[in-house]
Formats: sequence, C-alpha cells, structure tokens
Amino acid sequence: MSLQNTPAAATKYVFGTRDEPGRATWLLLGPCLLYLVVFSIYPLFHSLRLSLTDLTAATGTGNFIGLENYRALLVDPQFWNAAKNSAIMMFFSVAIQVVLGVALALFFNLHLRGSWIVRGILLLPMLMTPIVVGVMWRALLNPDWGLVNWAIKQVGLTPPDWLGSVGMSMVTVVMVDCWQWTPFVFIIVFARLQALSQDVFEAAQVDGAGPFVTFRRITLPMLMPAIVFAAVFRAVDAFRSFDLIYGLSYGGPARSTTTLAFFSFQNGFQFQNYGYAAAVAYMMLIILALGTTLMLKFVQIRPGTSR
Amino acid sequence: MNVRPGRVIAYLFLIVLGIVGAAPFLYLAVLSTKKRIEILAQVPPTLNFNWTQVTKNYNEVLFSQGMLSFTLNSTIVVGAATAAAIVIGTPAAYAFSRLRFRHSERLASTILSMRFMPPIAVAIPLFLMVKAVGLQDSYPGLILPYIAFSLPLVVWIMIGFFDEIPNEIDEAALIDGCTRVGVLWHVMLPIVRPGLVTAALFGALFIWNEFLVALYVIDSRAFQTISLGAATLVSAQRPIDWNIAATVGVVTVIPILLFSLFVQRYIVRGLTAGAVK
Repeated sequence: MSLQNTPAAATKYVFGTRDEPGRATWLLLGPCLLYLVVFSIYPLFHSLRLSLTDLTAATGTGNFIGLENYRALLVDPQFWNAAKNSAIMMFFSVAIQVVLGVALALFFNLHLRGSWIVRGILLLPMLMTPIVVGVMWRALLNPDWGLVNWAIKQVGLTPPDWLGSVGMSMVTVVMVDCWQWTPFVFIIVFARLQALSQDVFEAAQVDGAGPFVTFRRITLPMLMPAIVFAAVFRAVDAFRSFDLIYGLSYGGPARSTTTLAFFSFQNGFQFQNYGYAAAVAYMMLIILALGTTLMLKFVQIRPGTSR
Repeated sequence: MNVRPGRVIAYLFLIVLGIVGAAPFLYLAVLSTKKRIEILAQVPPTLNFNWTQVTKNYNEVLFSQGMLSFTLNSTIVVGAATAAAIVIGTPAAYAFSRLRFRHSERLASTILSMRFMPPIAVAIPLFLMVKAVGLQDSYPGLILPYIAFSLPLVVWIMIGFFDEIPNEIDEAALIDGCTRVGVLWHVMLPIVRPGLVTAALFGALFIWNEFLVALYVIDSRAFQTISLGAATLVSAQRPIDWNIAATVGVVTVIPILLFSLFVQRYIVRGLTAGAVK
C-alpha cells in the first residue's frame, strides 16, 4: 500500500497534521475502535481462550488443557469430513456462481426492454432469510409433491433423491446456494459493465474484432476486478455457510452436508461442548485469515485505494 | 427497427428467466392458500383459492404463531443497531478518508476484514458476555452484538462515499476556521446524505437475516426475530405443516419485496460502493 507517495495522500497528510495532531483523530475514530475492541476483538480472544479449555455446559468451569482440543480435532474424522464439505461447497458454489453471474451480466447488458423487471425478480433471493430459503427449497424438492419433481416427471425423467441421499445432498445444497447468491455476482459484474467506457469496444469493432475475441481480450480483463471482488466475498460466505444448511438439510443425511460452521454449532449448541466448538471455530478463523490474506495480496478491495 | 432472430431468442430467454425466477415465490404463495391435506393431494397445486383457508393460514402465522411480533422485533433490533452503527461508524470513516495517522491503512483493512469473521467464532463469547450483564433475552442483548456486525460494512461504504467528495471542500471550511469535527458535522453530513442512506440500508440488510447469535441470546418467544421465529416454526413441528411453513415464507418475503422495490438503486450502489469503479 504505497499510498503515502501519491499526490492525493500528500494533501491529506498535510491537512491531517497541520490542523489537529491527534485529538480530532481520536475523537472521530475512538468510539468505533473501542466498540469493535469490546464486541469483536475481545470475543475473538475469549474464543481462543475457550478453545484451550475443556469447558462444557455440564462441568460449568473449564480446565486449561492447552492444545488438547486442537490435537483431538486433527484426528477427528468428523472434523475432516466437515472440512472437506466446506471446501467442496466453497469451490463449486463460487465456480458456478461466477460463470452464471458473468453470463447473466452480459445478457442483461443487451438492455432488452422490460429487463429491469426480471432483474428485480432475480435479485430477490439474495435478500431472503437463508432459513426460509432452505424451507422453500425443501418444499420445491419434496419427493412426494414438490413442484420440481413434478416438472421432471412431466418430461419423463426420474428425479433424484435431492436431500435424502448421501451422494446427492451436497449437490442440492450447492444448487440452492447458487440460486440464492448468483444474483450477488451478477449485480456486481453488471454494475462494472455499466461503468465501462464504450470507446474501447468501438475501437475493437473498427479493428474488426469478432464478439468472441472482444469478450476474451477486452471485456473479460476489464471485468476482472469486479469478478475477483465478488468471488472473494462469495468464497468467504460459502466457506462459513451455516444458516442455509440449518434450514435445508440440517447437516444430513449421514453428515454429508455438515460444514465446519455447522459442525462447530453442533458441538457448541447441541452437545454444549464449548471448548471443542471454539477450537473448530478457531480453525475456521485461521483458514479464513490465511485465505483472505493470501487473496488480498493479489486483490485490493479497500475503497479509495482501488482506483 | 429491424427484427433479428437473435433478438427474438434473447427476449424468449428473458421471459423464461423471469418465469423461472418468479416460480419459487409464486409456488410458495399458492401453497400458503391451501389446507395441509391439499398440498399432499394436489400435485401440482390448483389455483382455486378458498379465502376462508387463506385467512385461516395467515391468521395462524401472523397472530397465533406470532410472526407479526417477530417482524416487529426484527425491525426494532435492526433499526436500533443500524442507527447506532451509523452514528459510530460515520466519523471513523471520515477519519480514514481524510486524516493520515500512523497505521491508518492497516487499521482500516483490519476493520474491513471483520466483515469476513465467521459469526460462529464469536457467538459463544458474545452470548456469555451478554449473559454476564444480564441482557440475554432482551432487545439490547441482540442490538449490542449487531452494532459490531454492521459497523465494518458501514465504515467501508462510508469511506467510499467520503473519498468521492473533493478534499478542497474540507480545506475551504478548515481555512474558514472550522474544526475537523465541525467540518464533518456542518459540511460533510449534508453532502454525504445519500451515502448514509446506502450505508444504513446495507448495514440493516446484513443483520436482518442474522440467525446464529440470535439463537444463542434469545430464549423466549417474546423477543424472537424473523429468522429465529421462522426457524422454530418450521423445525419445531414434525412433520411440518407445509401450508403454515409456506405462509411463514410469504410473510418473510413481503418486507424484503417492499424493501427492494423502494430501495433497489441504493442496494446496487452499496454493493458496488468504492470497490468496483
């Protein structure tokens, strides 16, 4: 972040120091920082401390047991199962949503008459309560009377056992996640597409570039920042996905859709095994921190410095 | 105007997209008008509506099951948390946008990275904290953590909006003898009002659907929020009464529908604020 060298930053620097050294800064920043320290940073440290104890609701007080929870976790096949499920969910959700989202953005860029109505409809899912999304799709996919199975049978095919079989359940969860969140990728890429200057496209046309070459060589590179931005957001959210699982499959059948967040929740809320639950949550946090730090090495998402 | 086959196909696709997009919602709406037994018997459901049954379902969900009061609870909690987040977050965003101080970049990205924090990592400590001060099962018990959840987003969006205002405006006010805080209050806030609306809507949107922390903090039905209420309604009864579940779905979608009808442009603006120019 070499912002200090840019002219804009230099102006800021002069004005930040000449008029008020520190007081205004702390007056403006203080409440926000204090709040986040108390309600975000402290709970994180508390979680870390919890993860080093054997606290359960039954024992009441936890004893310090060092890294025992983490050791147990690394040899717990259920932890690895949850980690695998989280990874699968993250990878496929993001991949599918990016492809579909970009395709939708290009399609809506045709500016067909009346397309704003359809756009409004398509944006609805991402505003919905994930719990309700889960219940809604349980109805749509109901093996006995659901609309989707009825439609599939109408065209003479046999519908799969969407949520009842170990092989299919994760596919279904990914599918529903894509239904809910493709709009997010779509709208971000679409907004970027609207902001692109038309000159380049005209120039490409003059030079005789076909639609495919134009997309591959001009549109896609210029959309890349938006695509990466959306993908990072979706990756993080898909990785920590919990609500949708709770409403749709409750981790089953046979733990085939138990993600890390759901696994931690089961240990904490259901089995009241707080120490172990905190350790699982902390592993997620470590993975997320490593992952996002790595990603942010390549992507700049801070507003103001992104120009 | 020339009609090309490509254009026709595009319009057909648009129509199909609209139908497929709306179908799940319409399906839910139709199911919410049925008797329990009708859902199992009519595949696909027919479109003859029995208004006594419709009234019965919605009465059941809104009043007997308390969905109306859950909606009210969500509105109170989210409204208060968002207002507080705006009050605390806007000055911070202004400082990040205008003032240079040590580690400002790192501090800003730390705050923004809190947007990525998995709620499951803080849910238990937050619950224990709230419980320690006796605020479990109360509005403040949810409002306090929710302020922290929406703060990073508010700060982030507001930095984007402040960055768009030329620095010369601040300079002029400062030369005229205004203090930094005075500049923010008298000069910046009026200019940045659309930004405040966007940030507020967005902050609200992200906690409106929050579920996990509410699950820990709230025990009694009196303080349940929409997501919590919906979850208990559809998982408590087994087997699920699908007509009731569908009605719950419709009732939760209606506020979102109204919201998106009136403020769609702000949502788009918020999603893309700063980051995707």
